Amino acid sequence: MDETVGPSEMIVHLGPQHPMQPGPFRLNLKLKGETVVDADIELGFIHKGIEKILENKTYLQGIPIVDRICYLTAMTNEEAYVGAVEKLADIEVPERSQYIRVIVEELSRLQSHLLGMGEFGAFIGFVSMFMYTIKEREDILSLMDMVTGARITHTFLRFGGVRDDLPEGFKERSAAVFASLREQIADYERLFNHDEIYKQRCFGVGILEAKTARDLGLSGPALRATGVAFDIRKDEPYLVYKDLDFKVCTATDGDIAARINVRLEEMLESMYIIEQCLDQMPNGPLFFEDSSYGVRTPVMRVPEGDVFHRVEDPRGEMGFYMVSDGSDKPYRVKIRGPVYPTMQALPPLIKGTTLADVAAIAGSMDGCTSEADR
Amino acid sequence: MDAKSIIDSLVNKFQDSLVDAKVDSDIRVSAYLEPEKIVEVCQYMKDELLFDHLSSETAVDYPKRNEIVVVYHIGSYDHSVLMTIKVKLPRDAPEIESIVPVYWNANWYERETYELFGVKFNNHPYLKPLVLPDELMGDWPLRKDYEGFPNRTARNLV
Repeated sequence: MDETVGPSEMIVHLGPQHPMQPGPFRLNLKLKGETVVDADIELGFIHKGIEKILENKTYLQGIPIVDRICYLTAMTNEEAYVGAVEKLADIEVPERSQYIRVIVEELSRLQSHLLGMGEFGAFIGFVSMFMYTIKEREDILSLMDMVTGARITHTFLRFGGVRDDLPEGFKERSAAVFASLREQIADYERLFNHDEIYKQRCFGVGILEAKTARDLGLSGPALRATGVAFDIRKDEPYLVYKDLDFKVCTATDGDIAARINVRLEEMLESMYIIEQCLDQMPNGPLFFEDSSYGVRTPVMRVPEGDVFHRVEDPRGEMGFYMVSDGSDKPYRVKIRGPVYPTMQALPPLIKGTTLADVAAIAGSMDGCTSEADR
Repeated sequence: MDAKSIIDSLVNKFQDSLVDAKVDSDIRVSAYLEPEKIVEVCQYMKDELLFDHLSSETAVDYPKRNEIVVVYHIGSYDHSVLMTIKVKLPRDAPEIESIVPVYWNANWYERETYELFGVKFNNHPYLKPLVLPDELMGDWPLRKDYEGFPNRTARNLV
């Protein structure tokens, strides 16, 4: 950004610490009156060097590290990492384990969308929304706690399977939680879409055209709200997603309200997917017996090669590029997160809007600095 | 559009500069490329083969071969084939043309590759560090011979 300011212009720094932000980053805004004429983002305040750390850990030790890329999407991060290693080492996963993985990953999508929506509500001055969604999110987290033994960082997936089977009574408890969540989602929709203030702030604001969204390299709900039906679960099916019936939720308007509505719809789809899984999943082992990469194998060597494995994160396309040199540690890991392009696209998106809309637009994109910095 | 026809089209067009072009699976193709051709190939892929989504761009360091390999993963919103392009650069002076004019979101990936590996991207609009503090600039921390602060072993290489 050009630091020189003209007459009646000023530069405002949002951050590195600001209640609006999903983690520390600095947003520099050049304002002319109320209008944003120029913007840029500075990252690096929580750069953790996870890619370098992974090079110095064995494959199994890497699982808890990738959990911590972003605590909201821990399960899908694990899936991308474990899936990449499985592709490299050619490990088969039994069907029951695949279904359990889909269940926990969709639960992870539910809780991420719920928190994202609550934060968005808080950003636009609707703090009660945060209280509503955090309550429902806690129920989802208890379900995950039941399966994995942890609320946010699970370390649950293993190469060739999962750590534990579903506990007794999971189906009944999830049915109760989903019934209440379905009611709540109908409420959220009414709360949002029939509120006069919300309508004025969020309909027709922060509009992304499909072509711009493609050029900016976006993925996930922000892209699907512009009408592009890009979903890795459909385009590049992993696990058992090809056997499951679900639709890719899209909207056409591309404004803030469209992004929120896509997330609301996706939550209904996620619950539908989990219910299908619980009905369809076969009995069987969690690991194949001849797999030498089960939980009991401390040292695991992966054949030489490289692979790019991607999965659908709650925010979009999560990819791991992994290079192996045949040893027990990865030679190089590149984490391609969905939030990175989203954060990059923020300055062009907020240029020309007013300062008051910045928080609403940034909130509706559902960013996470922890993942962008890694 | 399937993997086979994509590779055929690319090999036809850039016969001399593509090495080891192959179909890895139904949804993955890969090739090694001469560094001079990178912008031209990306432009061709974007215009003719619907590769409109730069999924990721990074580098891998091979000190024994004295090489840094820049890796591009280019996908598409319309079909599910993902192309991996690898470009070998000399480790002591890695330099390559920036692809920001073709793929807008390459900007940050190239800035990150620059600060972590020391790969210089020519004609990049703003080649400044992104996630690292200024003090670590020139250490190239993701290179294999980096021993960590304060042993700046890789500092004098580039």
